[in-house]
Amino acid sequence: MLGPIIETFIGGLLTGILYSLVALGFVLIFKASGVFNFAQGAMVLFAALSLARLSEVMPLYIALPLTIAIMVALAYAIEFLVLRPLINQEGIILFMATLGVANFLDGFGQTVWGSDIYKIDLGMPKNPIFIFESVFPGGLLIDPSELIAAVICAVLVVVLAIFFQVTRVGRALRAVADDHQAAQSVGIPLNQIWLMVWAVAGIVALVAGMMWGAKLGVQFSLALVALKALPVLILGGFTSIPGAIIGGLIIGAGEKLAEVILGPVLIRAFDLAGGGIENWFAYVLALMFLLVRPQGLFGEKIIERV
Amino acid sequence: MFYREAGQFKTTYNADQAIFPISQDRWFVTAVVLFAFLGVPLLAGQYLFTEVLIPVLILAIAAIGLNILTGYCGQLSLGTGGFMAVGAYAAYNLALRLPELNIIVVFLLAGVMAMLVGLLFGLPSLRIKGFYLAVATLASQFFLEWAFARVKWFTNYAPSGSVAVGKIEFFGFPIETPMQKYLFVLTLVVVFALVAKNLVRSRIGRMWMATRDMDIAAEIIGIRPLTAKLSAFAISSFYIGVAGALWGFLRLGAWEPLAFDINRSFQVLFMIIIGGLGSILGSFLGAAFIVLTPIFLNQLPSWLGIPLSTAAISHIEFMVFGALIVFFLIIEPHGLARLWAIGKEKLRLWPFPY
Amino acid sequence: MTQLQQQTDFANRLTFHDSLQAAEVDFSRVTFSSKEQVDRIYDEIDQKLAATGQRWYFIVNYSDCVIEPEVWADFAARGKNSNINHSLGTVRIAASDKTRETIRERAKSDFFRSNIFDTREAAIAAVTNMRRHNEALKAHQQPGSGVNREAILRVDDVSLSFGGVHAIEGVSFQIERGEIFAIIGPNGAGKTSMLNVINGFYHPQRGTITFKGEKRVDMRPDLAAAQGIARTFQNVALFKGMSTLDNIMSGRVLKMKRGIFAQMLYWGPALREEIEHRKVVEDIIEFLEIQNIRKVPVGKLPYGLQKRVELGRALAMEPDLLLLDEPMAGMNMEEKEDMSRFILDVNNEFGTTIALIEHDMGVVMDISNFVVVLDHGVKISEGRPNEVQADPVVLRAYLGIAN
Repeated sequence: MLGPIIETFIGGLLTGILYSLVALGFVLIFKASGVFNFAQGAMVLFAALSLARLSEVMPLYIALPLTIAIMVALAYAIEFLVLRPLINQEGIILFMATLGVANFLDGFGQTVWGSDIYKIDLGMPKNPIFIFESVFPGGLLIDPSELIAAVICAVLVVVLAIFFQVTRVGRALRAVADDHQAAQSVGIPLNQIWLMVWAVAGIVALVAGMMWGAKLGVQFSLALVALKALPVLILGGFTSIPGAIIGGLIIGAGEKLAEVILGPVLIRAFDLAGGGIENWFAYVLALMFLLVRPQGLFGEKIIERV
Repeated sequence: MFYREAGQFKTTYNADQAIFPISQDRWFVTAVVLFAFLGVPLLAGQYLFTEVLIPVLILAIAAIGLNILTGYCGQLSLGTGGFMAVGAYAAYNLALRLPELNIIVVFLLAGVMAMLVGLLFGLPSLRIKGFYLAVATLASQFFLEWAFARVKWFTNYAPSGSVAVGKIEFFGFPIETPMQKYLFVLTLVVVFALVAKNLVRSRIGRMWMATRDMDIAAEIIGIRPLTAKLSAFAISSFYIGVAGALWGFLRLGAWEPLAFDINRSFQVLFMIIIGGLGSILGSFLGAAFIVLTPIFLNQLPSWLGIPLSTAAISHIEFMVFGALIVFFLIIEPHGLARLWAIGKEKLRLWPFPY
Repeated sequence: MTQLQQQTDFANRLTFHDSLQAAEVDFSRVTFSSKEQVDRIYDEIDQKLAATGQRWYFIVNYSDCVIEPEVWADFAARGKNSNINHSLGTVRIAASDKTRETIRERAKSDFFRSNIFDTREAAIAAVTNMRRHNEALKAHQQPGSGVNREAILRVDDVSLSFGGVHAIEGVSFQIERGEIFAIIGPNGAGKTSMLNVINGFYHPQRGTITFKGEKRVDMRPDLAAAQGIARTFQNVALFKGMSTLDNIMSGRVLKMKRGIFAQMLYWGPALREEIEHRKVVEDIIEFLEIQNIRKVPVGKLPYGLQKRVELGRALAMEPDLLLLDEPMAGMNMEEKEDMSRFILDVNNEFGTTIALIEHDMGVVMDISNFVVVLDHGVKISEGRPNEVQADPVVLRAYLGIAN
């Protein structure tokens, strides 16, 4: 019994990493510009679709940089066409605008690239491997591509952390995150910083889309799964990069375990037509968590001033 | 020229407190309502009733409900679809299990059920605000959607998981033809819109708006956040629940939980954004816009003689929709209702520039 | 005149009038031109003052006195020091136009009253007045001496901290019914935090608040409002999406009683109630002279008018205690005068007790009956305005002079 549960747990953690990646994109943009970017999920889908279709006609090592270029161009387009005209609007208006962007990207991506299920082949090993055969009967079943995904994700986080801590752009970005006007008054160009952040978020979306696409195939449902990043944000706090990572792992593992452990109990108790708890578990978990600690795991307690 | 308020002096506060203080507005609205009741049934065909008028009116009720919560009280919600589902399934079960109940009572009780569920999911709003609350309302959306798909009792153990309603009659009058449905819905819409308008211009409306504009100041003038926010959740969910019941009974007839998924939540949210946050009129304009645009987009290729697959059309619909939302936010963040008001302001002065 | 002559001459220029409790300093026809000279003269004055072993009201005669610009700073510093150590209050007479302006300028930045009079008689009258105020205050502070005094609000030993930061430490005071009470202090002294505690927005870790005889430790802002505490904010906190009329009407929320169903119907009882309250609100609008902006969304109003609308909203609550947090911050002279008039009128006409925070010392001295001074969250002084103004501890807090 323990073996399968640990397998589920590990599988959940690996799914969680993908949630983390999507959440990371949200956090970057929210931190730098205060925009709650609902389109992050759509960006993941768009990036994955682009990469999948491009890699059908050209080798991956050309398709990948090309997709990066597409994502950067997309960031430019969003900055110029959407954010700049809406500068100084309230947060809720900007949020609604990203809803519009999300809709547009969903439609645009499928119009341009098609709406079937596409494969992304990263040439990663497909055969599952067994580990700890001596500890558990039969050992634990692990998908090596997921392990690789985890490593890539970890590398990405480290690179981002270094980027923000060490480089000049990173410092400017942290200044902008602290106080827009103060940053502007010391000569930091807000628009360039925002552009940069959207571009980075686009690349993070590409990594997420690539991993996810390699695992499950690229299709429209990717944009919806990305909604799962929202409870991750609640858990981790809207502005915390480590929060996004750890929140993602908790949500990923939590919902898979809930499905396996809680699911059968609920089905028996309420005479349900099947499980599917993982559809809502993350949100309800986040909701419960909010009531205990509204600022998230890593957020700072806000003292209200009047 | 014709839209002038000169000579209309308000001599009592009573007159100044009217919904439409300018007499031209009063006449115009009266005329529209009369036309909707008497003129439209004579002129409209079946397609117009079922595909345009009934959906617009029902969704306008939902939009008014969401506008009360989001536009007036400032609590962003993405759970509209879930609350509509509560209304629809509550009405289905009430009609099924208590067949002697009058249909109007069924709809109102369905609204009350949605109100109770709304109160429950509104509780987090006492601790969290803004986007945090928006994500919390997603919990209600996904949980409710799941519950209606999985708990067999709600669907009366239907093997397919979808439910269908039987014949509807109202005090012995059948509500079957599109025109009958239209008139029934129209009556409800008029009553609901009027009640909503009354609420938002009364004490409770000011409590909501005060909470929306500056919650701390609202508390300090004596508004209890619990009362303001939960009353908004309750009344909003009631409206949305009734809309859900009407949607199930009069628009769909048979449905499964997918009819009330997250996309429904977004659809209603878009209505109030495009129509105008904090405006009852905007709820109608937004509902009309969101219902009519896809119909128009669907027709357009065939009018232009461009052959397009249904899938392509639906993708383009997404695109156009997204682009329109951004466009509207840039042109006028306060929606069609504000554009209407600006237009009226211009008309008051026309043809003189000042 | 040589400097030596001046020095010996100066010995006769300090006279004490015991009956007035005043020390008269005669700077007439003196020219201050070097730091050494300023120090010498002040050393002598301070020595003599110290020898008396008591505090005095200063009457300083500036007729034909010249203070060279380069010694102004030294002169001011020594004068301030003398005030802190020996003064009960200072009045000045017969300053030249230039000196008068300079004193006024300094008074503004250092929060003291310039008190410049043309004649000696006027100065003596002012000193007599100050003494009478101070003695009345002392009498008032004797237990059991007051006539019919009643505390509307008592703050007992209140302490408030955020994490490790102490915003307020062990502050006690009381506000009496019908008075205009001022809380002053440098930035970050804990004034606004004190108001936040009083209206229940912050919860003190220690101490109690007693309002109208009811003791409380914890409070919610809306309950404080229900008990009769209204408030305006340092940064205007109006409802931006609503008109002036609706903003002020929202102040009537607690007074309106019709139920939700009556409001749904609107016509009938709810409308009657609405109109009844509209009349009260119209009175307030008239009182504050804002009839012409009745229907304007408040977000579009200039700052001074927004402050007025905010006062209107607080007045609509018909409070027993009105808290005003810097009601005149960022206003020009005329707007300040208008606002002062409104505050005094509210106090006179409705008998509303007012507690205000204000930085403009002139305003505080003009309109308040009693002043509490906070610094770093601690109460450092309290009393009648002129008494507080002369309190060396207060001057030190404002000017940052070390002991």
